[in-house]
Amino acid sequence: MLNRIALAAVAATFAAGSAAAWPDKPITLIVPYKAGGTTHTKSMVLSKALGKALGGTVVVKTRPGAGSAVGVTFLSKAEPDGHTIAYTDLGNLIWNPLTKNDVAYKVEDLRLIAGVSEYQLALVTTPDKPYKTLDELLAYSKTNPLNVADMGGMSKTFINYMAAKEDVQWTAIPTRGGGEMVPFLLGGKIDFAFSGGVHQKHGDKMIVLASFLSDGLAKDPDAPTTQDLYGIAMPGNSVLITPAGVSDEIAAKLEAAVEAAMEDPDFTQVLQNIQFPKRYIPSSEISAFAASVTKSLEGVLASMK
Amino acid sequence: MDILNSMLGGFEAAFTLVNLAYICVGIVLGIIFGVLPGLGSVTALAMLVPITFYFTPLAAIAFLVGINKGGTSGGAIPAILINAPGTPEAAATALDGHPLAKQGRPEKAMKTALYSSVFGDTFSDIVLILLAAPFAAVALTFGPNELTTIILFSFTMIAALAGRSLVKGLIAAALGLFLSTWGLDPVDSTERMTFGAIHLYDGIPLLPFAIGTLALSSVLSQLYDMRRDRGQPPPAPLPPASQFRAENRISPREFWGNWKTLIRSSCIGTGVGILPGLGVTLAAFLGYGAARRSSPRGDKFGTGELEGIQATEAANSAVVGSNLIPTIALGIPGNVAAALLIGAFTIHGVVPGPLMMVNHAELIYSIFASMLMANLAHLVIGRVGIRIWVQFVRIPKHIVLPTVVLLCVVGVYIPTNSMFDVGMLFLFAGVGYLMRKAGFSIVCLVIGFLLGENFEIYLRQTVLINKADLTVLLTNPVSLAFLLLTLFFAWHFGIRVPLKQKRARAASREARAASD
Repeated sequence: MLNRIALAAVAATFAAGSAAAWPDKPITLIVPYKAGGTTHTKSMVLSKALGKALGGTVVVKTRPGAGSAVGVTFLSKAEPDGHTIAYTDLGNLIWNPLTKNDVAYKVEDLRLIAGVSEYQLALVTTPDKPYKTLDELLAYSKTNPLNVADMGGMSKTFINYMAAKEDVQWTAIPTRGGGEMVPFLLGGKIDFAFSGGVHQKHGDKMIVLASFLSDGLAKDPDAPTTQDLYGIAMPGNSVLITPAGVSDEIAAKLEAAVEAAMEDPDFTQVLQNIQFPKRYIPSSEISAFAASVTKSLEGVLASMK
Repeated sequence: MDILNSMLGGFEAAFTLVNLAYICVGIVLGIIFGVLPGLGSVTALAMLVPITFYFTPLAAIAFLVGINKGGTSGGAIPAILINAPGTPEAAATALDGHPLAKQGRPEKAMKTALYSSVFGDTFSDIVLILLAAPFAAVALTFGPNELTTIILFSFTMIAALAGRSLVKGLIAAALGLFLSTWGLDPVDSTERMTFGAIHLYDGIPLLPFAIGTLALSSVLSQLYDMRRDRGQPPPAPLPPASQFRAENRISPREFWGNWKTLIRSSCIGTGVGILPGLGVTLAAFLGYGAARRSSPRGDKFGTGELEGIQATEAANSAVVGSNLIPTIALGIPGNVAAALLIGAFTIHGVVPGPLMMVNHAELIYSIFASMLMANLAHLVIGRVGIRIWVQFVRIPKHIVLPTVVLLCVVGVYIPTNSMFDVGMLFLFAGVGYLMRKAGFSIVCLVIGFLLGENFEIYLRQTVLINKADLTVLLTNPVSLAFLLLTLFFAWHFGIRVPLKQKRARAASREARAASD
């Protein structure tokens, strides 16, 4: 009997000790995108800032594939001891299990620690077109069928949703990211385009027609949002996540580390370079935020059917 | 003047000790891979791209360019010494290089090969530097209509690459094209051939595919040959060098006396490099053939003529620089090596394509500067190490091959930390092995795979933008020009050349019959 109590006591101290000592080995930060992309670039500095705040080492590992689904699935199955975490975008995190049949994780398998920064998702065009605003574009589209560049998945669904609501004829042309979209748009091969934020690099050569972010764009706060017009918005947030089973104590420490990283000068510099604003969302708000995003995306999908 | 200014800026950024060190290490590795049997610059690139994750973009590309340059000339060394070209593009080098070695002048042949290589390389780099910016400016005005026909045109090169059987070449290319369609459909995101495996959503990954079919399958095939050849007498020892050092010297007059051949071959290599899809091997044979036809000593080719070595090596090395022109201007890989370089660029956040000259001009000119520096380093390293490279020819296969297998696996695993990719590596090694044994061209397979993704997306963009009205391809001048070129090349390589060869064969049969 005594033995058993002693054992329980030892086990308890050990358990408490392990949480208190966390991180007692290097933390792996999974990035579910290819090395060199914006998410990976940000993660390289974020990992250093997190390591500084936690008093340990954070190692970035890329597990790219299937629009982040491969890496996020990997994380959802990892040991929930806080030594495996991931940094990714909230949009595809929610979109993938909603739309793809074989995605092996659910959003419930993950714990959202905090929001970190924001992509600048917008509808853009060039100044030489006969329309300068979304209203003018819609009016022009009534009589002229137009071609619009999408970047696959979510962006195409949103564009088709808008076209259906407004009863205009837009043909969504698939492009593989800004590197392909920009020359097509600047070269006049397409009429307007979806942009993940690359338009900010091109200054006067591109004008913003609408924002897909519910809160508007940092540089073009006056652009109308699809949230106001159609009640749908894309999540542009990047988030830090862990497997669902991670203890509250570790989650709280991670959240504090993200908050501290927000003030890190290197991280600030990188975000400035790629012109994506910081967007810290504490854990107390992020679940509600994710839920509202899920609802909005489900609404879009339901109405598309 | 603009280019001169940019180049000066490029040298300023590129001329650092660290960068020079990366270039030199790249060249040394490239030469070693070129010397080792069955490997080559493509294998070296595929296996070493993952290492460059940890470099700065400039150092990474400089390193890879060094490998590419070293590998192309390294293959000449075993071709000269033991008549076993380390790389297919050096096959024509053996024709005149090996006889020279047997006459006791192996170093003379190796020096000639190296100097001609560096000459062709430098020539082609200068063309690249002059043409990259204007080509990119033109390419910026291209849309899906133009790009579709350019890639269609690139496919005709398969006919030239197919080797003996056009049908087998086409089958291999079609298989590559089919494999490139796996993964999510680019327009509707429908799953195609994913077999429910999430790892296949993005399609078949390039590295396991390229390393498996090109490198590992060649190693497997050689391992099989080793087993088959057990008990056979060991290969002949290296021919001894003449005791008279003067015999192995090459005077400037000997080398530059054939300046016409050097320039002709460099032009051929550069031209082949600019056209997407064509390879180094073709350039080598075209250069050799042209020199034999126009040289007054053409009938002596094959008996140890320096000119033959110069013609081959200048041509195959001249491809290296100019194949970056379509890569940089269009984002379409000129050949397998360029495709791997595109992968390396992308890893470092630089997307090849017409915008690259606009967004990353400084980096591009630093790379150009590094390429010119690499040529100088190549000359020095290749010359100084000439006795060392010879030693690599002696390393027995049973040590080289297993090491390469290990490097292939590591090279595939590192970038994604995925055992699925390692599985793909072995799968494609098996596919490549079967194709080799059955006489299907692996290069055609890989070219089909590389061009397939771009071709599909540009074609589907064209169909969507023009509302399925493809007559636009006939009214758009650029598209029409490339369509006509496509028809011409298909006719030339697919019908005219084979017919000629058939006639030549028939004629030689008749001649033989008559003499009997």
